[in-house]
Amino acid sequence: MPVIATRDATVSYGGRDVVRGVDLVVEPGEAVALMGANGSGKSTLIKAVVGLVPLAAGAVELFGLAQRRFRDWRRVGYVPQRTGAASGVPATAAEVVAQGRLAHRFLGLPPRRGDRAAVARSLEEVGLADHAHCAVDTLSGGQQQRVLIARALATEPDVLIMDEPTVGVDAETQAALAEVVADRIDAGCAVLLVTHELGPLTDRLDRAVVLADGRVVHDGAPPRPVGEHADPRHQHAHPHAGDESDDFWGGK
Amino acid sequence: MTLDTSIFGFEFMQRALISALVVGLCAPAVGVFLVQKRLALIGDGLGHIALTGVAIGFLTGGSPLWTTLATTVAASVVMELLRSHSKTSGDVALAMMFYGGIAGGVYLTGIASDKGVANLQQYLFGSLLTAGWDEVWTIAVGGAAVALLMLVLRPWMSAIATDEQYARVAGLPVAGLNLLLLMTTAVVVSVSMRAVGLLLVSALLVIPVVTVQQFTRSFRATMYGGMAAGFLIAGAGVLASAVQDVPPGATIVLIGVACFVVAAAAAATARRVRRTWRRHPPPEGEPLEVELPAGPLGGPQPSTKG
Repeated sequence: MPVIATRDATVSYGGRDVVRGVDLVVEPGEAVALMGANGSGKSTLIKAVVGLVPLAAGAVELFGLAQRRFRDWRRVGYVPQRTGAASGVPATAAEVVAQGRLAHRFLGLPPRRGDRAAVARSLEEVGLADHAHCAVDTLSGGQQQRVLIARALATEPDVLIMDEPTVGVDAETQAALAEVVADRIDAGCAVLLVTHELGPLTDRLDRAVVLADGRVVHDGAPPRPVGEHADPRHQHAHPHAGDESDDFWGGK
Repeated sequence: MTLDTSIFGFEFMQRALISALVVGLCAPAVGVFLVQKRLALIGDGLGHIALTGVAIGFLTGGSPLWTTLATTVAASVVMELLRSHSKTSGDVALAMMFYGGIAGGVYLTGIASDKGVANLQQYLFGSLLTAGWDEVWTIAVGGAAVALLMLVLRPWMSAIATDEQYARVAGLPVAGLNLLLLMTTAVVVSVSMRAVGLLLVSALLVIPVVTVQQFTRSFRATMYGGMAAGFLIAGAGVLASAVQDVPPGATIVLIGVACFVVAAAAAATARRVRRTWRRHPPPEGEPLEVELPAGPLGGPQPSTKG
């Protein structure tokens, strides 16, 4: 039974198809990257998988259940695209990571020992144990990203769904994160990763699915960097990351 | 100037003080989530709607407290449905509440003209001193219920207030919790109109929270600190207004604004001093940004494409 299965998934924004008839299957324990240029529909597809945007056609199944009927969200660890973690009221890294345990807790009951242990362990894994009680908005961009990943790890999921987890993260942190994720893959956790850059994280992948203009154009071995992109100094700064508007590549 | 506390020998002053303290303690418990959700003005919006509720009370002869509660809760449900199920943005819905609430209040008060505009004024700006014991009890029970609920649900409420999309993927009942937040805000607005008045009700929801968050690092500390600050500000406001014989609502809010300005200035100064004396220690595991020497695999030239 696949962890994630989309059949002919189509998503429209305002009558325009952004994702067009995508079939995507992630098996248990499999690590898959979803790649493509800005506006190719990869983030939108991920959002449809976790139910944040509605499908115009097709179906999404999680652990063999139709997405709308799926309730066992503690099996899913989700890392959203980072949108300035600083919000109205300060929160510590531990408090943000503790949100990852809410799927395990009964509404209104205090956390159990296991919940607190999972939070501490996740912060430890991403190397932020010393920063558990720092306000998130005083952390660097890379550290904030690690907090979001720790939050997903704290859920102790069977599948990690990550939307561009390495945007704005320096190479060394990327390598550290890749190790953390590789440990989870070794432990049997499936991974679905949206990215548009190759890096340490993509070295451990079993498969890459490349989208262009909302369609799957490649499903197989992960691509290897060539030319300028293979240069470790190559900067992957994407000023429009997450921007859903039309781009030069005619996406969406 | 010596503080003459003999006035608290009067029962009406005791009632006023208790009501204000309860509201000061409980309003920030809800307000912290509103500030987090960037809905700081929602209390004011519901305050305007509450005018219509008070006028309905005049018109029907019912207790304004209960008609206000019913009206604001109904309005918060409509507001949440509009926000989540239509293309109406939060601030448009808010604008409609401001206009519609005031207009409804004035219109309905006009119909019930025998009760007079002077009567409406005591709800607009607060009239702590005329509260009876039964009203004090209503405030205490309503406030305690709201504060308890928010304290117990803090992790869930802060999750939906911080990142609603993540909360949905975590399987939390986001729609229900959003509705609960607006409804508890409506309860706070209704019970605190006695203390600070409908037009100033937003102040006690927001000011204590934004004052203490100048110094806090955690959500929990901000919530507890906000409640303590609200308690102190409300108490100080009633004391000061009693001594000077001025309206308590306005006094409470002015003291709150003063506290915020002082806190914001102090926090800015403290940050500057700290930056001068010791840099924020570089976090462990945070690598230095270093330039790697060009390798044989490097492209035709080092790319620094942005």
